[in-house]
Amino acid sequence: MRHQKYIFLTFLLGLFLMSACSDNFLETEPLDEFADGAVWGDENLSEAFINNIYQRLDQTFTQGRLKAMIVDEAHYRGNTASLQFNRSQLTADGIPSWGNNQSFSSWNDLYKSIRFANMFLENADRIPAEEQVLNRMKGEALFLRAYLYHLLMRQYGGVPLVSRVFELVDDFNVPRSSLEETVNFIVADLDQAVTLLPTSYTGNDIGRATKGAALALKSRVLVRAASDLYNTPIFSNYSNPELIAYVGGSRTVRWQAAKDAAKAVMDLGQYGLYKADPAPGEDIAENFNQLFISKNNEEDIFLRYFTLRDNVQIGLVTGPNGWHNWGTNAPVGDLVDDYAMADGSRFDWNNPSHAAKPYENREPRFYATILYEGAKWRPRPEYLRAEEPEGVIQVGKWEIWDETTNSIQIKHGLDTRQSPIENWNGSYTGYYARKFVDPQHDHQYIRQDVPYRFIRYTEIVLNYVEACIELGEYEEARLHLNSIRRRAGLPPVTESGETLRDLYRLERRIELALEDHRIWDVRRWAIGPEAYDKSVTRAEVVYKLLPDKTTDSIPTITHVPLESHEWIDKAYFFPILRDELNRNELLIQNPDY
Amino acid sequence: MEKYLHKHVWHMGRYFCATMMAICLSTGLPLASHGAANGTSTGESKGLSAVDVTVSGTVTDVSGQPLPGVTVSLPGTNIGTATDLDGKYTLNVPEGSTLVFSFIGFVSQNIAVDARSVIDVVLSEDMTSLEEVVVVGYGEQKKATITGSISSVSGEKLAAVPSINYSNTLSGRIPGLTAVTRTGEPGGDAATLRIRGANTLGNNSPLIVVDGIANRGLDRLNPTDIESITVLKDASAAIYGAQAANGVILITTKRGNIGAPEVTAEFNQGWAMPTMLPKMADARTYATMLNEISHYNGQPAIYSAEEIQQFGDGSDIWRYPNTDWFEETLKPSTQQRTGNLSVKGGSDNMNYFVSVGGNFQDGIYINSATNYSQANFRANLDGKISENIKLSFDVAGRQENRNYPTRSASSIFSFLMRGKPTLHAYWPNGMNGPDIEYGDNPVVITTDQTGYDKDKIFDLNSRMNLDVTLPWVKGLSITGNIAVDKTFQNNKLWQTPWYLYTWDGVTYNDNDEPHLVRGQRGYSDPRLRQAGTDTQRITLNGLINYSRSIADLHNISLLVGSERISGESMNYGGFRRYFISTAVDQLFAGGELEQSTFGSANKNARLNYFGRANYDFLGKYLFEFVFRYDGSYIFPAEGRYGFFPGVSAGWVMSEENFLKDRVSWINFLKVRGSWGQTGNDRIEPFQYLTSYGFGSTNYVFNEDWEDKTLSELRIANPNITWEIANQSNIGLDGQLFGGKFTFAADYFYNLRTNILCQRSASVPYTSGLTLPRENIGEVVNQGIELELGYQNTACALSYSVSVNGGYQNNKIKFWDETPGAPEWQRSTGSPMNTSLVYKAIGVFKDQAAVDAYPHWVGARPGDVIFEDINKDGEIDGLDRIRTQKTDLPTFQGGLNIDLRYKNFYSNIFLQGAMGAQRNMYYEFQGEGGNFRVSDAEGRWTEENPSATKPRAWNRYSEYWRNYTNTYWLEDSDYLRFKNLVVGYNFAHPMLGDAKVNVYFSGMNLFTWSTIEDHDPESTSNTAYPLNKVYNLGVVLTF
Repeated sequence: MRHQKYIFLTFLLGLFLMSACSDNFLETEPLDEFADGAVWGDENLSEAFINNIYQRLDQTFTQGRLKAMIVDEAHYRGNTASLQFNRSQLTADGIPSWGNNQSFSSWNDLYKSIRFANMFLENADRIPAEEQVLNRMKGEALFLRAYLYHLLMRQYGGVPLVSRVFELVDDFNVPRSSLEETVNFIVADLDQAVTLLPTSYTGNDIGRATKGAALALKSRVLVRAASDLYNTPIFSNYSNPELIAYVGGSRTVRWQAAKDAAKAVMDLGQYGLYKADPAPGEDIAENFNQLFISKNNEEDIFLRYFTLRDNVQIGLVTGPNGWHNWGTNAPVGDLVDDYAMADGSRFDWNNPSHAAKPYENREPRFYATILYEGAKWRPRPEYLRAEEPEGVIQVGKWEIWDETTNSIQIKHGLDTRQSPIENWNGSYTGYYARKFVDPQHDHQYIRQDVPYRFIRYTEIVLNYVEACIELGEYEEARLHLNSIRRRAGLPPVTESGETLRDLYRLERRIELALEDHRIWDVRRWAIGPEAYDKSVTRAEVVYKLLPDKTTDSIPTITHVPLESHEWIDKAYFFPILRDELNRNELLIQNPDY
Repeated sequence: MEKYLHKHVWHMGRYFCATMMAICLSTGLPLASHGAANGTSTGESKGLSAVDVTVSGTVTDVSGQPLPGVTVSLPGTNIGTATDLDGKYTLNVPEGSTLVFSFIGFVSQNIAVDARSVIDVVLSEDMTSLEEVVVVGYGEQKKATITGSISSVSGEKLAAVPSINYSNTLSGRIPGLTAVTRTGEPGGDAATLRIRGANTLGNNSPLIVVDGIANRGLDRLNPTDIESITVLKDASAAIYGAQAANGVILITTKRGNIGAPEVTAEFNQGWAMPTMLPKMADARTYATMLNEISHYNGQPAIYSAEEIQQFGDGSDIWRYPNTDWFEETLKPSTQQRTGNLSVKGGSDNMNYFVSVGGNFQDGIYINSATNYSQANFRANLDGKISENIKLSFDVAGRQENRNYPTRSASSIFSFLMRGKPTLHAYWPNGMNGPDIEYGDNPVVITTDQTGYDKDKIFDLNSRMNLDVTLPWVKGLSITGNIAVDKTFQNNKLWQTPWYLYTWDGVTYNDNDEPHLVRGQRGYSDPRLRQAGTDTQRITLNGLINYSRSIADLHNISLLVGSERISGESMNYGGFRRYFISTAVDQLFAGGELEQSTFGSANKNARLNYFGRANYDFLGKYLFEFVFRYDGSYIFPAEGRYGFFPGVSAGWVMSEENFLKDRVSWINFLKVRGSWGQTGNDRIEPFQYLTSYGFGSTNYVFNEDWEDKTLSELRIANPNITWEIANQSNIGLDGQLFGGKFTFAADYFYNLRTNILCQRSASVPYTSGLTLPRENIGEVVNQGIELELGYQNTACALSYSVSVNGGYQNNKIKFWDETPGAPEWQRSTGSPMNTSLVYKAIGVFKDQAAVDAYPHWVGARPGDVIFEDINKDGEIDGLDRIRTQKTDLPTFQGGLNIDLRYKNFYSNIFLQGAMGAQRNMYYEFQGEGGNFRVSDAEGRWTEENPSATKPRAWNRYSEYWRNYTNTYWLEDSDYLRFKNLVVGYNFAHPMLGDAKVNVYFSGMNLFTWSTIEDHDPESTSNTAYPLNKVYNLGVVLTF
């Protein structure tokens, strides 16, 4: 029984010890997170914080759905939401096709990103980094904040300007600023960023915002600010016109500012048109392809790189179903019609030789941007190579005479919506997009690593041309417009005035096709009816049965209506969603919502 | 005996036999031994004054089975004995005595000896014996003197239910416990358990305590190891403090008792099939609907009338199939098996319960890559070190193997629903048919052609318990527990390319057969992801118990204790692709390019002090107080500890003179009430710290340099604390008519305060804030529970019938609301987790109907009509209403009937639930997939304009597909024949002491429901269906 006492005492001691070590027993720390002090006390973590804002700027390539589908450039196979958008069915309860397909571009996400930029700016002085590095990072944060506000401005006009980090006890309700204040705010951030950012980087910093990027963004914003949407009366009954337009000041001054901003980028001498002077016989279309496929070129002002490991879906989403891709971002016939002939003349269906072979003799950018019946793409998936060894697009149908039944059998191309391969992923338009899609990958399996180009130099040159035209400086405008045409293998323009403006706008549509510019350009130019009030078209491609019961080797191609779009002026601006209006009584809705 | 055993075991299948042999060999079981456990006579006293007579006899139950161990005693004396294994007893008693025959679980009988020398007694079972002891927090209590709302069910009751997952046996068994099974996938079919419904906007899952150790799992316990399950529903749970707000489920496993080894061998074999599968449209209907969609879009028809006619008519089987994808992919039934062997017994110094077992559950797919199997063991040992010191050691281990294909069940069932009847599953020559996309042909992706996803979990629970009775203070004892629980998990995902065949519909090969082209799908190259997790939890506790009865009037018992729980977990893994061959599926064999590794860890700690005091006067007036002072790592240092009290009282009215002996039909009547506070710390830890974490994606610089991204994870709330459950309960328990009729009724009122929610609803997004959760929400949940039972014996048929039901309804009392939202959309005052939906009130018959009522922009005939709730003449977000139902039923109940006739017995169990609703919306219908028959039949067409169902649609193209509305919401009330057990106990002299029990049992045999196509318990339309199981079992005891 001596044991018994011993056990008992040990027991009591154990209980006592158990409670006694309580003081630090409960002190645990998260093992997979970083504390506030750790982040702002560490240069590398602070930099990683900025990287996250870059990461949140845009998901266009990652998700693969281009805004081209919600303007007269392309068509979304999974139709609905984009069709609603194309019919101006935006309401305070929802902006169709915007939410899920455009991550980080919604009001909510943009303001969250802005908070991150503000957090960095407020904490910057805690970061133990050399002044040069710190200034660079501050410049990046200012650039990023300006970029985010420019996205908000093109959707909403004047928006609440939040430049501080809210604490939990603050009053969160901020009213909208006027359009003018919003533009000035963005420009002020950019002007400051220009003084802080380097002109270029070395090593693993390549890809961060540069002085040139800040100047280029300023050009984009100022051209926008001078455009018709904000300087002509559109919503005459709207009670708060200052939220969506300039209500004073000189438009000429604004155009001059836009011109100067573009010029500032051009004067850097750092950027140039890619392969600006093609030699006779040079494959201009291939040059134009490389402009988008290459990792780096002299046009790059601000871009985002990807590796194969990033889940970049643009190739998978865009490619034809006959390659097990998803047939999205499919160009519509209207865009195809706007590509000139190789000699610079307009394409015309009423011209019999044009109509007979519509895909021949078009300007080089057509071949670099669009996949059409018979266009050479990449080798088919291995198992289809016996059937289609050339790797060409098949969006047509063959009428074949069946002698056993004495009837016509229809064979549908592999990339149609009647294809034996994932037919429901086939394009409705008879076209597929080629721009940005890297032909060297089998996209059903492998993601591509083509960079996303936020701002390329040609855009700045076009901005400059636009400002010159609006200022009446036609000579200067033609000089630079023709440099872009020369690169595209097209003859120079000689026109002036309205005609020159129209030619410029067409040139911009073609040069920047599918690059998420058109949707914003038609808004700032206030040409909604022109871009939307119409039926977009698709190509009908038939290899007809000839009288001798053989099948024609040349297809008959026509453009027929695909679906009708509709324009309502309210769609110049996005609605602020009802939920947000309910939260903040200071907010004023955009007109007609 | 041995011969007999072997003969029978041999037929139980190799799987089980091997298990049995292993345990027999390793434990050296004396299989043939059946040592005589004679009743221990305690009172063969000498020197009795009166004249003694010798009485003997046999005690049996109503079926005639002898009952061993029945106490036969003479009240007021120390004369007594117990029946032996054959139910026989012999006792010397004074003449004219009255003997009491009592046995736990049976109604006691008082019998006057008179002049008889042989008295045979038949005892009937008492399911709710007052002597019954119920497991409560950190101890046991007599059911009669319990003051809290506590329900329990014996393990035996549930052991015959053929469910591989234990949580699926609980539904409808215990009033107030809701168990909803969402999916029947082997290995993933755990029920969602809720005690008294949902009480908080956060985590509503109850605390599971197995053998006194918190946070152990319930799902994969071996049913035959379980002695009892107790549910603490009210403030009696306060002894579990900050983890107990959602109630506590206490599970106790079996232990040995003094006696010869009792060996139980059990095997059952089940056949499972889905309870319900959606009926999908045939090829002709589908093709017709696609044509309708094209027509509505102004596109030409896809199929000609002639082609539609050809689908399935056999005229051209290559071009025009009519495929039933469910039939092509699923077996009519699949198998499951369970085998168990347990031994229990003990001597004065050592008691033991040892079991080994295993089960296997196959998937429902033909050539299934899906299956679940487990092997488990348990050893519960109790030893006596000295008269005052007892040492127990429990160890239980379990290996769970989950095998799946590389596509998830929801993806498989999604593609089954989508499966176009106009496509081939297999071509007429037997080759794999085509896919809709991703290579996901269901007949292929359910097999191992795509690689595998194997998950192995090894779970080890151990506990050492020391129990010391202090000899120098009567009634004082000290108990200590050390429990170490470990879990290892290894997951291996091996993905390989697979092959499908396509035909262009035109090309023929040299034999004039369609030319099929074989194409690679799924993955471009083989790849392997392997991950391991190692989790450990250590629980230490010490308890001091004191119980004392003063002058047989005042009964006092006290308990104080302290407990410390610490846990840690870590995981790591790697990924490689570009394997040049599928021959070796190990990481080393993969390519170098794009390989990656990952890993993480976490820690937790809890420390607390608790106690309970019980006082009763004459077993008539009952009082209880429990408390816990709880500290948790989850909260900031300043507010880390919380105090959680609970008080309850009871009044046993039947002990009062005005009832006792006067109202003879009332045997027992107790009123009880309780109030208390518990906490809910089931929240994300460290919310008091501002923190940052790496994003899942990197940002690339310099072409290919992947740089980390760091994001704000959390804005701190330095004042964060646990939610508080204020629980009030009143209840009534009774037994009437000699114990034949029993009832229990409860009403509860739970007010959950300090609920963590984000104030986001009132904060504009322009702030950019993701607000931290704050303790601001309040939810009221109230309800009633009722349990009625009746048992009797007529002729040789003994039967018992019981019903139980629980109804509860919660309402949000306060939380953050968006300031500008209209009154009818506010969630305050509505149940939790409701949503805003448009109200569907029919289908537009024609253009005139569209023009006559406010409608969505672009609405056309055949579209669903949304009601203009605010009557402003247009349909917009303001017309949404708040649903009042969620996917959790508000009422759940069961009807249980037990029958016993001679050697036959049967259990019939019906279970039902009401008050939930289900969303029938499934996205991929139209061009991307098939329609249900119920969607197709009676739909609006130009020929059928008076339809109540809308026109054919394409995915979410229509506004009534795109915006949540009541058309797709359906009530999912149901009643189901949940269990049926029919069994026979063989008893024959040839069997000796051995007992053989053979039974049939079934689960989910019939379901009557207000919804069709999907099981009413499931919430996803692409969930693996719930199982209906037919099962045969045999239990051998000797």
